[in-house]
Amino acid sequence: MPISNRNASLTAALAIATASITVSAAASLGGDESTVAADHAVLAGQIKVARVQRYAVHEIAAPSGTVVREFVSPTGKVFAVAWSGPAMPDLRQVLGPYYDTYVAAVAQRKAKGPVNVVLPGLVVQSSGHMRAFSGKAYLPGAVPAGVGSEELK
Amino acid sequence: MSARAAWPLGALAPPPRRLPATVSSTPRRLLALVAAAAALVASLAGCGGGGGGGQSSSGSGGTTPPTPTPVQNTQPVIVDQGLGGFANLLFTSVTICAPGASTNCQTIDHIQIDTGSTGLRIISSVLSPALALRQQTDASGNPIVECAQFVDGFAWGPVKIADVRLAGEVASSVPIQVIGDPALATIPAACSNVGPPENTVDAFGANGLLGVGFFLQDCGDACVQSTFPGIYYICPASSGCQPARVTLAQQVPHPVSMFASDNNGTIITMPLIPATGQATASGTMTFGIGTQSNNGMSNVTVIPADPNTGNITAVFNNHTYPTSYIDSGSNGFFFGNGIFPVCSPPDADFYCPATTQSLTATIRGGNGASATVNFSVANAETLTMNANFYAFSNLAGEASDTTTFAFGMPFFYGRSVFTAIEAQTTPAGTGPFNAF
Repeated sequence: MPISNRNASLTAALAIATASITVSAAASLGGDESTVAADHAVLAGQIKVARVQRYAVHEIAAPSGTVVREFVSPTGKVFAVAWSGPAMPDLRQVLGPYYDTYVAAVAQRKAKGPVNVVLPGLVVQSSGHMRAFSGKAYLPGAVPAGVGSEELK
Repeated sequence: MSARAAWPLGALAPPPRRLPATVSSTPRRLLALVAAAAALVASLAGCGGGGGGGQSSSGSGGTTPPTPTPVQNTQPVIVDQGLGGFANLLFTSVTICAPGASTNCQTIDHIQIDTGSTGLRIISSVLSPALALRQQTDASGNPIVECAQFVDGFAWGPVKIADVRLAGEVASSVPIQVIGDPALATIPAACSNVGPPENTVDAFGANGLLGVGFFLQDCGDACVQSTFPGIYYICPASSGCQPARVTLAQQVPHPVSMFASDNNGTIITMPLIPATGQATASGTMTFGIGTQSNNGMSNVTVIPADPNTGNITAVFNNHTYPTSYIDSGSNGFFFGNGIFPVCSPPDADFYCPATTQSLTATIRGGNGASATVNFSVANAETLTMNANFYAFSNLAGEASDTTTFAFGMPFFYGRSVFTAIEAQTTPAGTGPFNAF
């Protein structure tokens, strides 16, 4: 899937908007931006927040080197999370109420390889290997109009 | 391995060949195990054995040094039905001994070979209690326990010390992970929160995992520097398990790196197989790169991997996949999103194109080298119509992102694939690199 021009402009916007701000971190997937600092606490990382036109990105860098990004819509809902780094993130924390659904789906896979769980209302994609993991999860129905899944990373 | 899962590919096929979802009756499982063990032990004769281990020279002293004949460095490997009915899992037998012992050994079949991870891991239930392997401890004597993370789950269990024998090679006093030890049944949340548990033979689809990837240790310096939440723990009897920093020597290492010789990498060689698949496929794993007459590097392209991640770059359909990898632990080619139709649920992990697709990808190294890879993608439901087939060179599925091209087990058929360990020297330079 080609990277779109929109992505390039997004990157520029992020660079301008990014600043280290002391705020509470976002909630888990599907949660409310303003309610919880739980992910921040659990992931024990530094956080920075970037706001672009269609959403805000809360980026939490854990001491392990793994970075978790949480995408918050203009209505304040976490509609996507993404991660990359040498260790898996605490998926129960970042997937929140969707974690058990994810685990059940993974346990029934026939493939051994990158995980691609596509369910009505939930997509979880995870790939990599020891020392290099990456992935994302999003709620298709909650992604703001005009936001492509490829920019959620 | 990049990934582990807990459901057989068998369910891809029409109902008559479907395997039970999660439970197999004990007698059937037992029979399968016995049969599989017998068959594999027979087919893997000469793979280290439990007896004399003639190459071992530890201890005794006083005798005349033996003539320096090359160590037998080739180990049989096989793709077969395995213990979970997954397609394209590559297995071997590993002999485990109590450290320093010559006779207190156990040969365990159906250990999955994984170039996507590092370290030997054995399911607790298949280990003979007679081995009485010593627990790895920290400087204060606390037991060290590991949570091995995979892309689709985790394995929890103590680190113990064993001698490991493969072909004629011996690695002495190797930390290995014993998965699913009932003595450590309480799993810390930071471990269990990364996906499904894979702490049993059923969940693992194998009796263990032989990680022969790029890295010298499974975690490396990160676990020396910080508690790296979720990987290594100490579990004092008094206070339960807590994340801990561990030294490199305390971590689970690449067992091949601990051989006395032939310790700079591995070569997995598999035969070409028919496009329609095959019941089983037998090959070899050779230890050492450029160390003996049988492991030289003629006619191969060397593809250096990223020293931090182990990733390489692939190009397919004019799109670059910068976080790609060659991984015997993935059971298909995994790439793309929406490139071909996927099979109907519950088989949607794989592609089901109407006709077999002949494709070309390019693998690039940071050194400017590149190699063209011709491969094909067949209809997975058609492939698995034959309930007895488990080896497929053209099984593929969607990757989970637009940056990863996983060259899984199908890539290995008809090739010799070299995996050079980080910091180890070879005739083609220092690892990590792939060559093929």
